[in-house]
Amino acid sequence: MRRIALVMLLVAGAALAEEIEVRDVALRSVEDGLALDADFAFELTPRLAEVVANGVPLYFSVEFELTRRRWYWFDETAAAQRLQLRLSYHALSRQYRLSTGALQQSFATLEEALNVLKRVRNWLVVDRSARLADADYDAALRMRLDTSLLPKPFQLSALTGRDLQLESPWKRFIVRPSR
Amino acid sequence: MKWLILIGAAVAAVGLVLLATASADTTMFARHYPLLLGLNAALAALLAALVAIQLVVLARRHRARVFGARLTLRLLARFAALAVVPGLIVYAVSVQFLTRSIESWFDVKVDAALEGGINLGQQVIEQMTQDLQAKANAMALELADRGPGQLAAQLERLRGQLGVEEVVLVTGSGRLVASAAQDVTKLVPELPAGQALRQARAKRGYTAVDAAVGRPLALRVLVPVDMPGEVRFLQLRQTVPSSFAQSAEAVEAAYRDYRELAISRDGLKRIYIVTLTFALLMALFVAVAVAATQSGLLAEPLANLAQATQAVARGDFTRRAPVTSRDELGVLTESFNSMTRQLEEARRGVESNQLALEAAKARLESILANLSAGVLVFDHSLELSISNHGAAAILGSELGAFAGQMRAHFAAQGAADWQLELQLKGTGKTLHARGARLPHTTGGGAVVVFDDITRLIQAQRATAWAEVARRLAHEIKNPLTPIQLSAERLEMKLGERLPREDAEMLKRATETIVNQVSALKAMVDDFRDYARLPAPQPARLDLNALVRQVLALYENSTVPIAKHLAEPLPPAWADGAQIRQVLHNLVQNAQDALENQAARGASPSIEVRTELAGDRIRLAVSDNGAGFPEELMARIFEPYVTTKPRGTGLGLAMVKKIVDEHHGAVTIENRPSRGASVSVLLPLAKAA
Repeated sequence: MRRIALVMLLVAGAALAEEIEVRDVALRSVEDGLALDADFAFELTPRLAEVVANGVPLYFSVEFELTRRRWYWFDETAAAQRLQLRLSYHALSRQYRLSTGALQQSFATLEEALNVLKRVRNWLVVDRSARLADADYDAALRMRLDTSLLPKPFQLSALTGRDLQLESPWKRFIVRPSR
Repeated sequence: MKWLILIGAAVAAVGLVLLATASADTTMFARHYPLLLGLNAALAALLAALVAIQLVVLARRHRARVFGARLTLRLLARFAALAVVPGLIVYAVSVQFLTRSIESWFDVKVDAALEGGINLGQQVIEQMTQDLQAKANAMALELADRGPGQLAAQLERLRGQLGVEEVVLVTGSGRLVASAAQDVTKLVPELPAGQALRQARAKRGYTAVDAAVGRPLALRVLVPVDMPGEVRFLQLRQTVPSSFAQSAEAVEAAYRDYRELAISRDGLKRIYIVTLTFALLMALFVAVAVAATQSGLLAEPLANLAQATQAVARGDFTRRAPVTSRDELGVLTESFNSMTRQLEEARRGVESNQLALEAAKARLESILANLSAGVLVFDHSLELSISNHGAAAILGSELGAFAGQMRAHFAAQGAADWQLELQLKGTGKTLHARGARLPHTTGGGAVVVFDDITRLIQAQRATAWAEVARRLAHEIKNPLTPIQLSAERLEMKLGERLPREDAEMLKRATETIVNQVSALKAMVDDFRDYARLPAPQPARLDLNALVRQVLALYENSTVPIAKHLAEPLPPAWADGAQIRQVLHNLVQNAQDALENQAARGASPSIEVRTELAGDRIRLAVSDNGAGFPEELMARIFEPYVTTKPRGTGLGLAMVKKIVDEHHGAVTIENRPSRGASVSVLLPLAKAA
């Protein structure tokens, strides 16, 4: 009974998760391969804002997948990339920081940091070395808050509550890479 | 089931340890925390299902009233209570303690101290920034006054004067004009970002704290320098003293951790409560499951004993309860088994005794039943208790009357044994009875043994008569011939000499003598015949043919004789000559009986009938005469018993004797309408 209740809560939580909207996706052919530009639209829930303001880092991950349908076998995954963005607050300097890998930016306000976070530019998702066929590919993109990287106490809340959840559905579109 | 519980308990323990480890402050399982949680929930559910199955099974057994189920249930309830109550208490205390202690971490003073530390750090940084800004403003003024030329040298001088780490002068677009640094090894200075320039231009100044990870905390100030013709920007960078930076970072880290805990305390509490709850649930489920198994184990020998007891109650002594333990229950079971064994032996002894008794009784009963003598047993109050088959055969319907008579006799005789001969009123049978008192040790009472001696007496009489007849024949017949001869001679010699009258008288007297002597002779012959009747020579005999032959002789008699002969009639086993004699005698008797009646004008008739009667053949001769007087019935077959004015009375005696020697039977009865009927039963000829 207890287990069933838990599962139902999980399902309900997933269904009611705060939505991130994927806007304006574009794949560009650049020198090194294919680069992705995308805009996302969302607001932090009050709880998430509180969490981040208290110094807990939030990890956002942007995931991209490029697959080709194969009728005779499982779909071929041509590329799968994941971009991790870390949003944190530095109390001493009263700055919000946004870091992607080695790159780090500081912002005086949360809005500024979020504005940068919502805009992904020039993300190299398909390397030149990947050999793409001249066919239609399914591309999928989403952004979500990675709750598994939250401290443990929040994880339990994230399991049962929706105010710590933030994710977009998969945005799918068809790409035909031209030579 | 036992192994299932053991395995379940082990897995639950592992799961709990993992969950507890993850709940504690290690990062090892932090990423898989939800997975662990789900795993434990599944385990708990599994254990719950296990317990539920056990309980359902137990409840079903209880409802089916399986012996031992109630005891198992009670033991289970006790064990479960023993496990559940302390578990719940510990759980409640733990939860209370946890929530309290977690709350107690978040002290207002600690909060204020950390807050103050951060504020202190911020203020110090602000102070330093203002300091740096003042220096920057002074530097900018001086640079604007001096104008261009020797910029690098001026910058270096000013930097040295003001004690600034790094000074950079850039154009409005951010291009480097000149720079000076304390650290001469550093060749490329850090240039301000475009956004910083924009802000500096807009607000005539820009300050920032460089707090990049892995680099020392640094302050940066950007001010415009109004140079003739263009605006340039002066950037001053100063590293915060490392001791201060370290302390500040430490305070910052502590504050951050504290704030993180503070805002997640509900989650933290929930984690501990969930972990505790899982621990409680699993412990309870395992405890209840173990309790169920254990109570089942405890109750099992009792159930075995109960089954064995029921088997004994049904009379099955072969069942042995298995001894499963070495404790008192085992001893009890052992004693029960030995008791059952003894019971079985005892019962076997009783059974064999009973069998022997029954055999003896059956033997006695068969002896009694096959005894031709009658036996009557009376109990101590002289009520009839046993009468054998012989008694019933002899007495028939007179049993009750006879018993009453015997009772009276016992009462009269007291304890002495007695014997007497008596005649039954109804059938006229002569009985010889011996009475005896039974000993008191066997319950008292009395027994009468009696025999039907009617035939014995008859046989004695018949023998006596035969002897008489033989003597008579011998003693009487011898003088008869000389008497007859003498009388005839007298008549012959004297008849001619005597006068006519005397001669007539002599003749009549002589005739009388001769006639009477002849009659006497005939009578003596009859007696001799009766006495000397030879043993029959039986053969297969067609009785119907014999009847026809005999009756042919009577065709001209005055009384009509009717024949009713059964056809076909199996042959009889008899001596034809003797049976002919029987038939003659019977028909003669019937005619004699009817002779008296002829005068009365009734129409006399005789009927001869043959028929199959069971395994014998019946030959019956009936008439419609006067019948036999009742008082003669018992002795009618004795010689010299007759109803006729004339006759020797030997006819029926002869019939009786012949039939007896044929192993047949003769019965006489008066017909209900009128007349008498004599039936002779002859045996059938044995099948060839």
